Amino acid sequence: MVRSLRWRLQIWHALLLTTVLIIFGGVVYALQWETRLQQTDAELDRVAAVLNSRVRGLFPVPRTPINWPPRTGWPGPRPDYADALAPANVTPARDPGGNRDGRSRGGGPRDGTREGTRDGAREGARDPSARETPRENTEDRTRESRDSFARNPWFAPPPGLTLPEETQHLFDGGDERSFYFIIWDRSGAILEKSKSVEEIPFPDLHAKDGLPERQIRTRDDRRELIQVSRFDTNLLVGRSIKPDLAAVHRAGMLLTLTGLGVLVIGLAGGWWFSSRAIRPITEMSAIAESISVKNLSKRINVDTTATELEQLASVLNRTFDRLQSAFERQGEFTADASHELRTPLSVILSHAELALARPRSPEDYQKALQACRRASLRMKSLIDALLSLARFDSGKFEMVRQPVELDRIAHEATEMLQPLAHEKSVQLTCQGQPVTVSADHDRLFQLLTNLLSNAIRYNRPDGTVTIDVSQNADQAIVRVTDTGVGISSEDLPRIFDRFYRVDKARSQVEGGCGLGLAICHTIVEAHEGTITARSELNVGTTIEVQIPVGSVAKPSKPSEGSHSELAMAR
Amino acid sequence: MRVLLVEDEPDLQRVIWTCLQEEGYVVDTAGDGEEGLYKATNWDYDAVVLDVMLPKLDGWQVLSRFRKLKSTPVLLLTARDSLQDRVKGLDSGADDYVVKPFQLEELLARLRALIRRAAGQSTPSIEVGDTNIDTVSRTVTRAGTMIPLTAMEYSLVELLALHKGKLVTRSMIYDKLYDEDDDTLSNLVDVHVSNIRRKLGHEFITTRRGQGYMING
Repeated sequence: MVRSLRWRLQIWHALLLTTVLIIFGGVVYALQWETRLQQTDAELDRVAAVLNSRVRGLFPVPRTPINWPPRTGWPGPRPDYADALAPANVTPARDPGGNRDGRSRGGGPRDGTREGTRDGAREGARDPSARETPRENTEDRTRESRDSFARNPWFAPPPGLTLPEETQHLFDGGDERSFYFIIWDRSGAILEKSKSVEEIPFPDLHAKDGLPERQIRTRDDRRELIQVSRFDTNLLVGRSIKPDLAAVHRAGMLLTLTGLGVLVIGLAGGWWFSSRAIRPITEMSAIAESISVKNLSKRINVDTTATELEQLASVLNRTFDRLQSAFERQGEFTADASHELRTPLSVILSHAELALARPRSPEDYQKALQACRRASLRMKSLIDALLSLARFDSGKFEMVRQPVELDRIAHEATEMLQPLAHEKSVQLTCQGQPVTVSADHDRLFQLLTNLLSNAIRYNRPDGTVTIDVSQNADQAIVRVTDTGVGISSEDLPRIFDRFYRVDKARSQVEGGCGLGLAICHTIVEAHEGTITARSELNVGTTIEVQIPVGSVAKPSKPSEGSHSELAMAR
Repeated sequence: MRVLLVEDEPDLQRVIWTCLQEEGYVVDTAGDGEEGLYKATNWDYDAVVLDVMLPKLDGWQVLSRFRKLKSTPVLLLTARDSLQDRVKGLDSGADDYVVKPFQLEELLARLRALIRRAAGQSTPSIEVGDTNIDTVSRTVTRAGTMIPLTAMEYSLVELLALHKGKLVTRSMIYDKLYDEDDDTLSNLVDVHVSNIRRKLGHEFITTRRGQGYMING
């Protein structure tokens, strides 16, 4: 059981730890990947910005000046502006590879419609040249246009993109981290591209509403930034993210390994902790296991137990104490009961044996049978007492609580025991006031007869026994006073114990089995009352019973307090 | 054989008394510890059967006081059968221990064994010449043939045989063979002795005139 608890703890611990590690590792991994991508994107942005600034020279510029709103300090159009732009040819260049035919064909009309709505001036400027130029000469025109760019000092760089020296290494550096770019126009004609681009991934992206569109995408293991500008020059800057992927994978591996390590350490630590935590429990259970009926005196050592378990240990110890005393009481009780039964039993056995040993006279048989009968009666009374105690103990006994006139019961008990008192030449009197209590009539009668017969039996000849019933607030009080031999102070606390006898010898008196006062005690306890004894050697004993009156209606008839009258009324 | 029975339960006292009586013992009884102690110290008994739970003085107190004065074998009779009780009983000077409820046969057997051991005899039968006295079946055989004896005659033979080679005085015979209530005439012993001599031969019992009788081993 302990082992399985430990394993269960360990499994839960492992599950929890694994979950935490996975979540933590996943978040760290994702964050790292995100950061890497952001870095790449930022680089792509920077490169795109550089390219943008350089690439403006490729723009086809409107032939007619734009009517800029007048502005102070504006010098006006440059004088060579028109010349510079004259050769500019906006006819889209065909893709040399021709692999993007569909796209360019499809793109054409769209571009046209958009153009119309957007930039009428440019449209107007371009149209004549488009009309002039036959489509077959497109390539030449493109070259021409570049040449005119080259000649134009305003639109440096010369044909082709010239990047600053210090940025050259960024492109086509040959390593995995180098960038690539493509610049194309709206018809899909490539204006420029870096060497390393093998295929041209045109995005399906268009400037909407004249606003530049910017998109970042991940294609296979490449990160690409696409800018669709309204100037009809589209830019794609990309970079392989293989190194990033590799780095992130390495970090992931490291994370996984670290996580596994943490898991192993955590599990080992958990195992160790659970061992530590469980060890006192194991010790306790081992000790508890070893405590048997034959060995009840063993106890858990509280000093060596961990603080939190001390309470449990002491609770267990107290339980063992109770168990031990219960067992001891039970053992004593059984020994006493069997002892009490043995004497009458041996009487029966011996008489029967002797009677059967040889033929006897009828008188002998009669005597033997009488002795057997006496012994049997004694056993019967003992068994009755044991049974009634057992019934009280097991709680099976049901008390029938009803308003009971205590003085009347006292009187009945007195009446019943008068013959015994007479036989012992003891004067038995009953006095007191009427008291009604809520109690079990038969039990109270048993209680009072027990007390009275004890008082009569252990009295001296010509002694007196008085039973006195009174009421003090909500307590009914019964006092039984005798003038007997008394009980010594060392015996006094134990007289209500079962089978405890002041005179250790078995009682000669019929029915005296050492349980009478124990039964009285049990009855009084069942009524939530108290029973106490005061005694003086050779003077007498007073036993006082207090029983709570309980919820009973007060007797309506004021009694005259005369018990003889009550007796007569009956 | 004279035995003291100290037992307060009247029915039990009577049944044991009857039984012992029928077995040929002379039995005195005492109903409480004080009386038992008084009788045990003032008479010579062959054995004392002592109940433990007694009024006035319990069996253990009787035993411990009695042991200071005499070494008569004591058989404790008790309802307490726990180990501690038995150890306490034997340690306080009891010679044997019988737990209630007992069978009379066992009580008798233990009593015989006690008396035998106290007389220095370890077997239940006593040999005197060619005469064999079986203390269990209470019979006397001579050369294989059983000699019929009355209970009193047998008791006398057994008493003399147990003290074989020693003088047994007349008062000792009275002590052992008659109980306290018996007022038998003294010459009855002579009658019994002459009857025994008639059955077992004159030389079986030697008379020491004015002192007593003895059996020569």
